[in-house]
Amino acid sequence: MTNYASSLEFRPGDSNRHPSDMPAVPPGSIPGGTGSGLRVRNVTKRWDEHAVLDDLALEIPPGTSAWVGGRNGVGKTTLLRIVAGLIAADHGEVSLDGLSPQRDRRRYQRRLGFLSAGDRGLYARLTVRHNLQLWARLALLSTSECETAVADSIEAFGLSELADGRADRLSLGQRQRVRLALAFLHSPRLVLLDEPANSLDDHGLSLIAATVTELHRRGGMTIWCSPNRPELEQIGRGYVLNEGRLSEDR
Amino acid sequence: MSETVSTHSAAALAVVRRDFLLMLSYRFRFVTQALSAFFGLTLFYYISRLVDVGGSISTDDYYAFAVTGLMTLQVITATLVTPSLTLRQELVAGTFERFAVSPFGAAAGIISMMLFPFVYTLAIVVTMLAFAGIVFGLALQWSTAALSIPIGGLAALAFAPFGILIIAGVLLAKQASVGTNWVIAGVSQIGGLYFPVTLLPGWIQWASEVQPFTPAVDLMRHVLLGLPMPEPAWLAVLKLVFFAAILLPVSVWALNRSIKISTRRGTMIEY
Repeated sequence: MTNYASSLEFRPGDSNRHPSDMPAVPPGSIPGGTGSGLRVRNVTKRWDEHAVLDDLALEIPPGTSAWVGGRNGVGKTTLLRIVAGLIAADHGEVSLDGLSPQRDRRRYQRRLGFLSAGDRGLYARLTVRHNLQLWARLALLSTSECETAVADSIEAFGLSELADGRADRLSLGQRQRVRLALAFLHSPRLVLLDEPANSLDDHGLSLIAATVTELHRRGGMTIWCSPNRPELEQIGRGYVLNEGRLSEDR
Repeated sequence: MSETVSTHSAAALAVVRRDFLLMLSYRFRFVTQALSAFFGLTLFYYISRLVDVGGSISTDDYYAFAVTGLMTLQVITATLVTPSLTLRQELVAGTFERFAVSPFGAAAGIISMMLFPFVYTLAIVVTMLAFAGIVFGLALQWSTAALSIPIGGLAALAFAPFGILIIAGVLLAKQASVGTNWVIAGVSQIGGLYFPVTLLPGWIQWASEVQPFTPAVDLMRHVLLGLPMPEPAWLAVLKLVFFAAILLPVSVWALNRSIKISTRRGTMIEY
């Protein structure tokens, strides 16, 4: 997919640029691709008195993907929501190429794609194309970037025949492909996938695999959360979340 | 800077377009809402035939008074009620999450969600005026009617903070209908929508001085229908400017605070 974030983030004379935003990025790679990746340090989150995440640490280097597993309700979704900036940690910090989800919200979110668990998050009465176009605008892409991003997403997730149909008339698997297209649409640097394989057939899984491979090629990262480890060669390290902490899955 | 403004404006317009497309997907929404408004206009026409207070107020004067009140209530509903209900729907449908994780952001998304209901309501209000004029002979004062456009825009800016504050509350409390029903009922009582505020007991008349709805409806009555103002027009305009200038920044600050608090609590996308 085309690299849209570059024209949004890296402008000559932009005095607010982050060190990881330095130019000289090879064509086709993601700006900041030489950055530090995702760092989650000493993150604690309590629901009432229960520490669902307890001094948790995680690092995802550029160009890699990690699986985070664990039993139901162990805190995988909470972890992803903290990394997505939807929930603030009680303690600890999250950074993506040195950017904070709270202090550098806009630049952080430009680098982030998020697929929540379940099948929600689409405007049922809008067409697939209108859903994609809206999200491209919310990602602050320019008009020409929007058109290219939407066209590329439709192609990458096999949505050509569905693009002009309403979202509420899709099957669950088709909906999931649209939701995945939204997560990858703006060429994010890090994509958070909460149970992405839900309702997907083999073809759908192969589309994710191809997209993740392309993301890696450009220096991007993914975190794949699901109870069981997916059988995808693109997934590198695996971690199991238990009692608030991650342990490496061997 | 200009690119930032342009991409943000385009994002806001995309939200307006979304709402327009959703409205179109319900084929009879405009017709049914216009019909509801017409029923209200018809009801008040016949009620106005019963009004006989003597002096200089005729039944037609009261009808004109009530029509402007009904129109203003549409705008108030669009500004105060519709956005909070829309946010509730977004939370339940999981679509608000997309705003929250977007570079455009939750606060900008919420404010953008207020644009289409206002524009849509203007179309309803114009239709109401046309209906009242054609069917019931309501006479517009054409010499000043055009002034209703900038006054309507100013009124929207003065009303919007109340809608934003309600939304900030919805993000924290996850309830919309209870608070908004109270606000609408209260504004109908003290805003001078259906009867002059001078008829209220003395101890409550101060309430008409501390909100923008009364001066807005008075100005609309004056420029659209030529009804007399209870205070100088410039003073009513000044009140609207004051409410917009003071309350808009305060309400946006409150909205950002509620987003921060709900992010800390972990409840922002809960419903």
